[in-house]
Amino acid sequence: MAAVAVHQFAECITCHAWSPDQSMVALCPNNNEVHIYMLSQDKWEKIHTLQKHDQIISGIDWSARSNRIVTVSHDRNSYVWNLEEAVWEPTLVILRLNRAALCVQWSPKENKFAVGSGAKTVCICYYEQENNWWVSKLIRKKHNSSVTGVAWHPNNILLATTSTDGKCRVFSTFIKGVDRRDSVMGSSADAKFGEQIVQLDLSFCWAFGVKWSPSGNSLAYVGHNSTIYFVDDVGPSPLAQNVAFRDLPLRDVLFVSERMAIGVGFDCNPMVFASDESGIWCFVRFLDERKTISSSKYGSQFSEAFGKLYGQSKHGVTNDAVEPSRSRGGIHENCINCIVPLNKAGNSRRTRFSTSGLDGKVVIWDLENQEDLSIYL
Amino acid sequence: MANTLRLYLKCIRNTLDAALCLQNFPCQEVERHNKPEVELKIGYAVAASLQDLLDQPRTSVESCASLNLMASMVLICRNEAEKCLIETSINSLRISLKVKQADELENILTKKFLRFLSMRAEAFQVLRRKPVQGYDISFLITNYHCEEMQKHKLIDFIVQFMEASFDIDKEISELKLSVNTRGRLVATEFLKQFV
Repeated sequence: MAAVAVHQFAECITCHAWSPDQSMVALCPNNNEVHIYMLSQDKWEKIHTLQKHDQIISGIDWSARSNRIVTVSHDRNSYVWNLEEAVWEPTLVILRLNRAALCVQWSPKENKFAVGSGAKTVCICYYEQENNWWVSKLIRKKHNSSVTGVAWHPNNILLATTSTDGKCRVFSTFIKGVDRRDSVMGSSADAKFGEQIVQLDLSFCWAFGVKWSPSGNSLAYVGHNSTIYFVDDVGPSPLAQNVAFRDLPLRDVLFVSERMAIGVGFDCNPMVFASDESGIWCFVRFLDERKTISSSKYGSQFSEAFGKLYGQSKHGVTNDAVEPSRSRGGIHENCINCIVPLNKAGNSRRTRFSTSGLDGKVVIWDLENQEDLSIYL
Repeated sequence: MANTLRLYLKCIRNTLDAALCLQNFPCQEVERHNKPEVELKIGYAVAASLQDLLDQPRTSVESCASLNLMASMVLICRNEAEKCLIETSINSLRISLKVKQADELENILTKKFLRFLSMRAEAFQVLRRKPVQGYDISFLITNYHCEEMQKHKLIDFIVQFMEASFDIDKEISELKLSVNTRGRLVATEFLKQFV
């Protein structure tokens, strides 16, 4: 089994994030609170409840080095939480938004975070030492619709966004006094704050869940038309690939290596995508074993036909007209909307990750002993 | 049961399965609102007046009309009289049904019967209080329903309702018969006094 652990935390989870050492998990049980659970003696115990927001929380991110939690909510606010003597102290961040905040992510250096919003703007927030608060700078008038996903490039400057107008955009978020020029390489080196580096117009449906590969050379995002997009050489002349699949659309994506990505979404089962030697991406398989496999499907079709010939009266009229749809029979029972990497300390390989969904479960997956996938790691 | 009905229901089931991919999505036009986007479309005028009320810039009403949160709608027809319209948006789905009505009497009976159901919309949760214009009954499924209920059960409910509505056909034709008999009896009784 690829799933290592399954925990039912709530009725429904909108998002979750792990503490730096992965002993604690912060999650939003589909309301205005954040619950922090800690693993003690093989049991998850709720140790903190963060109450400050007054509408549903749409994004949580826990910084790996500075041990801070940032939360954003539909109430248009964001809080940065600091652990001070076993109490999480909130700091309000004035985002200057007039619509709901939808997603948040800490930058790799953890001196900034980005918030995507329903106000068609992206906020880049950074800490101002002299005033002792978080300042928000807005990227305005670039998106035609709500910003559904944000992702930081490893260089701490470039930010990729997806929007419900179907486009994926890459911006420079260089802030004077926060970032230094020498950390930026290539064509984006002298871009100002909020300058659009590239706009990818591949999807004609809503786009979600953008992520960069570990090296930052390529990025992936998903469209609501059951397509995943891989973009290499992000810059003036990007190389894009569309991979369409026959199942329900995805909500989020995660690179586990340069050659493999995991997509999660409405099919309740993580999908594995991988690229071959020539760099062509394709769908490999579902990560979770399904209970219905194709060979048994043939059998059932046959027996169905058989039943029609001989035992029609057994089934009754209603049964014959509409066969009730089956549940999907996987670990997740409802849409998966969040996928988070789990990095072991001292291990650069991202083989573990966790998913959460509308069924209220957090599932930890491990790709370590999946033989057919190990060549892509 | 007729083979065409089976195909019709199967088509609706598959379409619903693909279309019921909903998520929580706050309104991007009106501040601090989270309403079914699929209703916002016909409520365009309502949205416009709301904008005036909240004193928000006119341009955002125009962008509301761009309908970028709506997916294309699907119309599934069994024949001219029976059809099913599925409209999808990012956080809600509306499915409207038209039931077969051969004559005026059937028309009245269906209307009464479905009105009886619509009046009890709370009990059904996903039933819309008023059908969409041109249809007899509408369901409105939002992301909250998808969070609380299992998707396949939700689809089963809709399809079983439709199946049952073909039993309604039977019921309606029975009702029609009894209405006719009663009418004849009443007429005979009434006309007796002139004999």
